[in-house]
Amino acid sequence: MMISVKNVSKAYEANVAVDCLNFEVPTGEFFGFLGPNGAGKTTTIRMLTGMIAPDSGEIAIDGWSHSDKSKIARLLGVMPESRGFYNWMTGEEYLSFFAKLYDIPEKYAKVSQLLSLVGLTERKHNRVATYSRGMKQRLGLARALINDPQVLFLDEPTLGLDPQGQEDIQHLLKRLNAAGVTIFFSSHLLNEVASLCTRIAIINRGRLVAQGTIGELQIQAKLPASSLKDIFLALTNPANV
Amino acid sequence: MYKLIWLKELKGELYTWKSTAWLLAASLLFSFTSYLLLTNKELTLLDQTELLWLLGKVIVGVGLLVVTIDASSIISSEFEQETAESLFLTPLALKDFLLGKLLAPLTLWILIYLISVPYIIVASAGSRLALPFMGHVFLLGTLCVLGFILMTFAIALLYRSSKNTLTTAFVILLAAAVPALFAATLKSGSVLTTVSKINPLDNVFSALDNVLVDYQISLGQNWQFYPPLIIFGLVMLGLLSAAARRFRQQGIIRNE
Repeated sequence: MMISVKNVSKAYEANVAVDCLNFEVPTGEFFGFLGPNGAGKTTTIRMLTGMIAPDSGEIAIDGWSHSDKSKIARLLGVMPESRGFYNWMTGEEYLSFFAKLYDIPEKYAKVSQLLSLVGLTERKHNRVATYSRGMKQRLGLARALINDPQVLFLDEPTLGLDPQGQEDIQHLLKRLNAAGVTIFFSSHLLNEVASLCTRIAIINRGRLVAQGTIGELQIQAKLPASSLKDIFLALTNPANV
Repeated sequence: MYKLIWLKELKGELYTWKSTAWLLAASLLFSFTSYLLLTNKELTLLDQTELLWLLGKVIVGVGLLVVTIDASSIISSEFEQETAESLFLTPLALKDFLLGKLLAPLTLWILIYLISVPYIIVASAGSRLALPFMGHVFLLGTLCVLGFILMTFAIALLYRSSKNTLTTAFVILLAAAVPALFAATLKSGSVLTTVSKINPLDNVFSALDNVLVDYQISLGQNWQFYPPLIIFGLVMLGLLSAAARRFRQQGIIRNE
C-alpha cells in the first residue's frame, strides 16, 4: 500500500478540519480526492506530505511514518496549494536549486529533461517573474518531478491553465501513472477527475463520505448512471449531510 | 545543505539589490562620519582616540541596524511569499535552513566591516591603534551581531511575519542601544550598573573605550567584556532552539 491513513484527525482550536479519516491508496493508483471548499482536502494533503502533524491517527507512505521526514521527502513529489516561486531565479536556476536540495546526480541533464517535458525549454533563461500563470504551474509540476517520486501529490494542478495546457498536463500525468507513479489528485474540475482517476474519495466537513470507482460512487449515492458532478453534489449537499 | 540556502540568499539579495543598497548606504555613512570627524571645526578638536571610538560606535551600530533589518525578512519572506512549503517538502532539515539563513546576514556584516577598514586606517593614521582597533571591532561586532541575528530568527519563527519581526527586533535593539549611549556618570545606580554589565552593546562600547582611551589593546586586557557577549549569544541560541521546537510542533504551514 503506497498511502495508508488510519483514524486521522486534525483540529484548529474549535474547528475540526479533518475528522477520523480512513483510506488507503494502492501503489500505482490514480486516486482522486474531492471535496467542497473548506472540506479539509488541503489539510489532509499537508498531513500526508508531513507539512503539518495530525492530532491523532496514523499516516504511512510506502510503510514509512509521515513523521520520518527525511525518508518520505525522497518518495514524494508535491505540487502544493501554495504556489510561491523564487521570482528572481530563471526557470533553469529554480529547478537546479531543487535538484541540488535532493542531491540529484546528473542534475543538469535532469533539469533539461524536465524543462523539455513541461515545455519550458525556450524560456529556461527567463526569470520566473516573467512567466505566465500557466508557465508557473508547469514549472511547479517540473519541480514536483525533480526527484523521480514514487507518489505524486497534486493540489489543483491545472487551475488557471488554458484547455491546451490542461490537456498537456493530463497527458503527462497519464504517462507518469502508466510508468508506475502513484498519483494523489485533488481538483474541483470534476470532468478531469472522472477521466483521469481510477478511484475517488469524497470528503465533506472533514469526514470521508464516499470512496470507490465511479460505478461504486453511483451506488453509494443511489444515483445510477449519473455523472461525477451529480454524485458530488448529492453527497456534499448540506441538506443531505 | 546549508551552503545551498546560504548561496541562494546571497544571490537573491545581490540580484534584488537589497544587500548592495545596504552596503552602499553603509559606505556613504562611513564616508560622511569620517569626513565630519576630520573636517568639522568642533569635531577636529576631539582627541584621535575619541574620534576612533565614535567611528567604532558607528561601524557596530550600522552593522547591527542593517543585519537586524535583513534578518527580519530573510526567514519570514519564505512564508509570506509561499515558498516555504516547497522548500520544506525537500529533505532540507530545519537546522540547515536556519544555518544557511544565518550565514547570509553574517556575510553582510563581514562586508560592512571590510568596507569600514579603509576608514579605520585613515582615521587612525599616525597612531598604533589601527590593528588592535580593527581586531576588537571585528570580534566584538561579530559576537554582538550573531546574538542579534539569533534573536531576530527566533522572533521570525514565532511570528512568521516580516513586519512584526522587524518591529519587535527593532524595539529590543533600541532598548539595548539607548542605555549604552548614556554617559558613564548616568550609570551610577545599581540597576543601571547591572544593565550596563549585561547589555551586549554596552560591553562593545566599553571594550572599545578600554582599547582606545586606556590603551588596553590585548585580548587579555579586555577579557571581561567578552563573556557577556558570549552569554548573550548562547541565550539567544537557546531562544532560537525553543522557537524551532515550537515551529516544528505547529507544522511548517500554520493553518489559521
